[in-house]
Amino acid sequence: MLSNLEKVQTTQLLKSLLQNTSEICAAVVTTLDGHLCAKEQRDEYALERLATMGSTLMSLGDTITAELKMGACRNIISENEGGIVAFMHINQDLVLVTLTQQLNALGMLLAHSRRCAAEIAKLLHNT
Amino acid sequence: MKEIKLVFTGSMGAGKTTAISALSEIPVINTDVRATDEAALRKERTTVAMDYGEMTLSDGQKLRLYGTPGQERFSYMWKILMEGALGLIILVDNAGEHPLQDLDLYLTHFRQYIDSTSAVIGVTRMDMAEQPGLDEYYDYLAQKELQLPIFSVDVRDRDNVVMMLEALVAMLEFAY
Repeated sequence: MLSNLEKVQTTQLLKSLLQNTSEICAAVVTTLDGHLCAKEQRDEYALERLATMGSTLMSLGDTITAELKMGACRNIISENEGGIVAFMHINQDLVLVTLTQQLNALGMLLAHSRRCAAEIAKLLHNT
Repeated sequence: MKEIKLVFTGSMGAGKTTAISALSEIPVINTDVRATDEAALRKERTTVAMDYGEMTLSDGQKLRLYGTPGQERFSYMWKILMEGALGLIILVDNAGEHPLQDLDLYLTHFRQYIDSTSAVIGVTRMDMAEQPGLDEYYDYLAQKELQLPIFSVDVRDRDNVVMMLEALVAMLEFAY
């Protein structure tokens, strides 16, 4: 799906995301059919499984919004006792999954993740 | 029985989505996305969450039909989708590289459900690959100490799939 160079550049963007926002614990780029392309994390999470589950959830989101004729699904948010997970499209084939353990950091998580997704989309569009 | 939930599972490309589409009386809900790996060589799109359709048998029995993703990396969905299911249809692509190994994967993962509910096996694309034959499938099940009906099925043919489902529903009615 991504060339080795694109994987390195995408990982670099995820690294910058985590460096610039201390609240974000992990970020994953996955294909919509569930293959992990790039990852970065502070703790030890099962990111391979998160990547596959991210593709499932995003696809369900797309199916639900299509069913309701609500246009494209922008993101899916999972708010949990131990933190927040956000899933969003980078483009039609890739999904960005980010997570934070801070329960009050939803706005920050979405804002920074959206910017990162846009940067990755731009990078892949230009390569 | 008012309504019966049935789950289609089995190897990628065996025809789960096609079977549900052939049967369903409502527009099928599916979560197909573009395949990006070696699977793309065999089929352009693949299911990553579930398929859903509904049908009514000639005796008025309503069936809710769910399809699972085929690849093992989505096995967490298999467990979720089996919740409340009364019957399981395992589809095996006979033109795949290792159909019996494929069958083994699903028998192993779903063994608990097979032992507690009812299941049938549908072998697809036998017109493209005659071997293994149905006898070999029966022998394989015998090795696993399982006795399940096995059908050679063309999932594009609604009547063909309905026949398999009616056999499964008859087993359920006998069991409950």
